[in-house]
Amino acid sequence: MSEILEKIAYCVEFGKINQQSPYPPDMKGQLGADELTKEALDTGLAPEDILKKGLVIGMERIGIKFRENKVFVPQVLMSAKAMSTAIEHLKPFFQSGDVKRSGIFIIGTVAGDLHDIGKNLVSMMVEGNGWEVVDLGTDVSADKFVNAIKDNPGSHVGLSALLTTTMINMEHILKEVKAASPETRVLIGGAPVSEDFKNKIGADFYSPDPQGAVEYLNSLVA
Amino acid sequence: MTKKQKFDRLLNGMDLETAKLFRPILMHFAARFSQKTYREFASDYRVLVECNIKAMEYFDTDLVGLISDPYRETSAFGAKVSFPDEAVPKCEEIIVKSLEDAKALKNPDLYKEERTRDRIEGAKYFAKRLKGDIPVIGWIEGPLAEACDLAGVGEMLMQMMIDPDFANILMDKCVVTAKEFARLQILEGCDIIGMGDAICSQIDIGTYDAFVKERQKEIIDYVHECGGKVKLHICGDISHLLASIKDLGMDILDLDWQVDMDIAHDVIGPDVIRCGNIDPVLIQNSSSEQLEIMTGETIKKEMGRKHIISGGCEITVNTPIENLMAIRKSSN
Repeated sequence: MSEILEKIAYCVEFGKINQQSPYPPDMKGQLGADELTKEALDTGLAPEDILKKGLVIGMERIGIKFRENKVFVPQVLMSAKAMSTAIEHLKPFFQSGDVKRSGIFIIGTVAGDLHDIGKNLVSMMVEGNGWEVVDLGTDVSADKFVNAIKDNPGSHVGLSALLTTTMINMEHILKEVKAASPETRVLIGGAPVSEDFKNKIGADFYSPDPQGAVEYLNSLVA
Repeated sequence: MTKKQKFDRLLNGMDLETAKLFRPILMHFAARFSQKTYREFASDYRVLVECNIKAMEYFDTDLVGLISDPYRETSAFGAKVSFPDEAVPKCEEIIVKSLEDAKALKNPDLYKEERTRDRIEGAKYFAKRLKGDIPVIGWIEGPLAEACDLAGVGEMLMQMMIDPDFANILMDKCVVTAKEFARLQILEGCDIIGMGDAICSQIDIGTYDAFVKERQKEIIDYVHECGGKVKLHICGDISHLLASIKDLGMDILDLDWQVDMDIAHDVIGPDVIRCGNIDPVLIQNSSSEQLEIMTGETIKKEMGRKHIISGGCEITVNTPIENLMAIRKSSN
């Protein structure tokens, strides 16, 4: 990996957004993912390489640390912020087709549930790993998921729930999604959800952490 | 012996081999048990209190509580809150969006604001109905939880990293209101103040120590000055925070199902009552026979220690009545 790509990966891993950002304290005053990504583009590095060999590497590292309880939600949010700030520079290349997304991932918190922190974490991690994310928000009905799949053919779906009382709504949404689009893979997650529950309702994948969702999605396009 | 006397004996480390107190967190379940909507439960103190008393009498719980939702204080600070029929009240807006907003935020008059007054009235009504025989747990939001309610969870967690001034100013205001809300509930008859700071399970110990610990301790010390006891409730896995939490001086620590009760006992020490920690999903989905076994195992492990049997968090609305009863019966 070139030095600048490693620096970009490092900035994403440690949540260094830009030079102005005081976080992390030991990188105060240094360039962040924002400036380094622009610099990498200016020096002629391929946008695809900046994404896959810089930003994605940084998100993978923070995802694994989160899974291992070495970092917690604030640190992941900072990494995601660094990533999303950097990715702004790459947007023209997504639109022109110079950089290809890995696929489209539709995510939402299921009907009846207003919690969004878990859904947001997964959303940010998946986006940071090169996927286009369609975030339907919270309290999302089966109809909304089905319509989003129709608008985004070939996409996969993530269902989030924080409450025991709302995770039961996953089964209904899953059935509707599979009826409308049998090939769509449906991932589920959230505090009360488990592998047993996934098997019971027939979802395609369950992960207790965002990185698991990323790895599963990447395996679908490998 | 009244339930209050039974609780006092537990606090003082007495009867640890024989008495096992039972206090599941009952909110939506209690409302449904009394054929009330959650809207009625969360918006009318008389409904909340009567639902709690009915559940307490049926399931023979040893304490009752005023907990309903996180947005009492948020509403008093000025946020609009809506009340779905069968869901937790919903905060419709984020009212602190900048450092200027945080600085300009005024601590509310809790007697004047409808939702905080409703809870204070609930404390008074409990006192009238129970005549001091049953310990009543009031409720306040912890400093980080309330700051997240006001500023948004993601934004607040990031502000602690980027802009400590914002985080500190906002949380200091949350502490002022938390202390006042606790004082008023104690004044009206609450014996214990529950402090919910659920989001803390999602932060690292360094951030917890830097922003939350001293503020929680300030609130706990103040509740003690006012003559109340404190029950700290943080949903989720707080194993990584226990080494810090042990210094707070709370009387009761709720532990969710992810926390190892033995480890918590070793870290927190024998003086704190640990409350928990059967997985609410298992309480909902297991058979009553399985729950009797689980409860029996918990009680055996906790014999001789200060402990209240409970779910790791709120008992879900769809929990079968016989399941909750199975836990009660096997705790006797």
